[in-house]
Amino acid sequence: MTIQGTVELENTSQESSEFSNKPLIDEASPSLQHLIYQPLAPIYLKVRRRFTLFSTAAILLVMFICQKQHFFPLPPQILNIISYLILAIGLIGTIRYLYIIIADKKKFFALREQDITYRSGVVFQKTVTQPILRIQHVELKRGPLERKFGLACLQLFSAGGAAHTFEVSGLLLENAESMRQFILDHKTISSN
Amino acid sequence: MTTAEQPEIQVYDEKTLPDWQRISPIAIVYFIASFIKGLLSNIVVFLPALYFSSDFIMENPTIWFPVIIALISILMIGTFLSFYFFQYRLNDDHIEIRSGVISKKHINLPFARIQNVKLEQPIYYRWFNYTCLQLDTAGSAKQEAKIVALKTDFAEQLKAEILAQHLEQVSSSAKQSDCDETVDQLLNNQSRPAEEIINTRSIPDLIIHGLTNNRIWIFLGGLAPFFDDFSNYIVAFFQNIGIDIQQLLTIADMPVWQITLYALTLTFIFLSIISLFSIAGSIFTFYQYTLSKLEDRYIRRSGLLTKHEVTMRLSRLQMVIRQQDWLDVLLKRINLKFEQINVSVNQNQMNAQNDKIIVPSIKPNECEKLIDDVYPENQMMTITYQRISKRFLLKNLGFILTPLFSVLALLFIISNQLIILTAVLPAYLLLSLLIFMRWYRWGYASDKNYTYIRKGFFGVDYFCFPTYKTQQVQYKQSWFLKRHQLCSINFILAAGMQSVPYINEKIGESLANDTLLKVESTKKSWM
Repeated sequence: MTIQGTVELENTSQESSEFSNKPLIDEASPSLQHLIYQPLAPIYLKVRRRFTLFSTAAILLVMFICQKQHFFPLPPQILNIISYLILAIGLIGTIRYLYIIIADKKKFFALREQDITYRSGVVFQKTVTQPILRIQHVELKRGPLERKFGLACLQLFSAGGAAHTFEVSGLLLENAESMRQFILDHKTISSN
Repeated sequence: MTTAEQPEIQVYDEKTLPDWQRISPIAIVYFIASFIKGLLSNIVVFLPALYFSSDFIMENPTIWFPVIIALISILMIGTFLSFYFFQYRLNDDHIEIRSGVISKKHINLPFARIQNVKLEQPIYYRWFNYTCLQLDTAGSAKQEAKIVALKTDFAEQLKAEILAQHLEQVSSSAKQSDCDETVDQLLNNQSRPAEEIINTRSIPDLIIHGLTNNRIWIFLGGLAPFFDDFSNYIVAFFQNIGIDIQQLLTIADMPVWQITLYALTLTFIFLSIISLFSIAGSIFTFYQYTLSKLEDRYIRRSGLLTKHEVTMRLSRLQMVIRQQDWLDVLLKRINLKFEQINVSVNQNQMNAQNDKIIVPSIKPNECEKLIDDVYPENQMMTITYQRISKRFLLKNLGFILTPLFSVLALLFIISNQLIILTAVLPAYLLLSLLIFMRWYRWGYASDKNYTYIRKGFFGVDYFCFPTYKTQQVQYKQSWFLKRHQLCSINFILAAGMQSVPYINEKIGESLANDTLLKVESTKKSWM
């Protein structure tokens, strides 16, 4: 299950007073362009695709049953609306499914000694970098599906406000937990 | 009050009160006032009920009396209970407040967590020498604590105590650093404060401020319940002097010049009324404005009816905004804003205005002096700003506005409605001009300490923040931008987001890297 390489997390800069901001996987210069990105957990992509598929199918099924059942005869206008809805939802579901396949493959994160970066977006690519120094608190969010598949969503809150919460979903639980611990152990947090 | 060292110790003893304290009964007035305020601002909810029951009340006039008695007694009991259950307690470095009649609230606030100390003196407190002490935290707006009625002297002492606590904390946490001495100095100075007034605003300044900045919302907020009456009154007033607005506005069979004249006159009347209100609003908020400096603290005092005092420590300052609307540019006046952490997102504009440290309508030289005072070595007005790419114009003008206009124009020409076209054309030209000015103004610059952004349309706003105060950096690139080696950078600050779009991707990358380096290598706290 752990195809995604577990992140080696150690506060290498614990004692040294010199500034360094090396990526926590490999050697590179401290520049955002040379980050070594990691993809989200493959199981997350799979779960998300299936969930989209199943939820769309479930809604379609309910509507189909509504249309065909004879217990509560519906007026013809509503039946008409329902058939349009089925068409629309089917279309939206398909587009969404295809979009998720493409978009989820474009989501990456990268952890360095001093900051964490998340990149996403198909047409509008967005790279958000959150310095660990500015993190106020850390949360792991796990919904029912995420609990079942051992996944977690890491949320980092800064003083930038709720709208700018740094969020990486689709992490393996063990990864998310070690990232959380890494952030909490970061020496800059306690002195902040 | 605290002029020598001995009273300082006394204050401390007096302050360490283990028991719960009640505030002065004058707080009842405050509770009544805030209840009435709440009622008025929610009157829209009650109006339908009142309207539907009005017939019933008219038929049974005797019911008024008991209803009013009942309402007043509920109000009295409610406010008395609010007062009775409002208690506070001070420990060494904590303040605890218990309040609430039905839903109880207990706040425990360590002094070290307090961001901001504000004093607010409503007009009815002035004769009794009481004041409200409001304590803001860095967290959510829910955690705000307000002690409703304290003797002004005691409130001042408490404020000094809380702010002194900060310094102690700083000194204890920065033991190893060499700034220990200066902190000690600050602590010593604490006992003999010498407040220095660095700016005042006169009534003419406030009139200019009212004219250039629309302060009318101060009234709109308070007058909302009376709008209907007000508009009816205006119509009646014009009828009395022989003008029938109803008839004026039936423009179908009037020559064009007459309509234009009427429109101009009405606009003029409307604008003058608005400006008058706006001037009054400006005076209400900023009457007897003083900005003073006490060590590392900036204190703003102002207000005609309710006096506000806002204190900000320099380290809490996140960003300086030098704001000029088009009228300000003509009159050479500037609004200077000292932005702190933006917790009051959901509060209404009026409160936010009172919370902020803003210096209204100052002259350029005064402005420069103030900015230099808070951010020494800043180059806000001297540095060369890099303009954003011309692609910004191409995208907004070329790909959005012009095609839209062309389609509309074509539609109107086909359907032979050229009159509408003559209305759309000026709108198109105006929007184009706005987009052009937006591009012309939008610039960025950075030096070794600060990041600068210039923005605006006909007016111009300058933003300046110490680069290390950035909370988060966002680098954005769409397909369109990528094709032309462009990108957008967003700086997330505690005071909000600042963005620089359409810059060269190499420059954008280095801006982002540089900002992160400054944040992470200096390890300075943002507050």
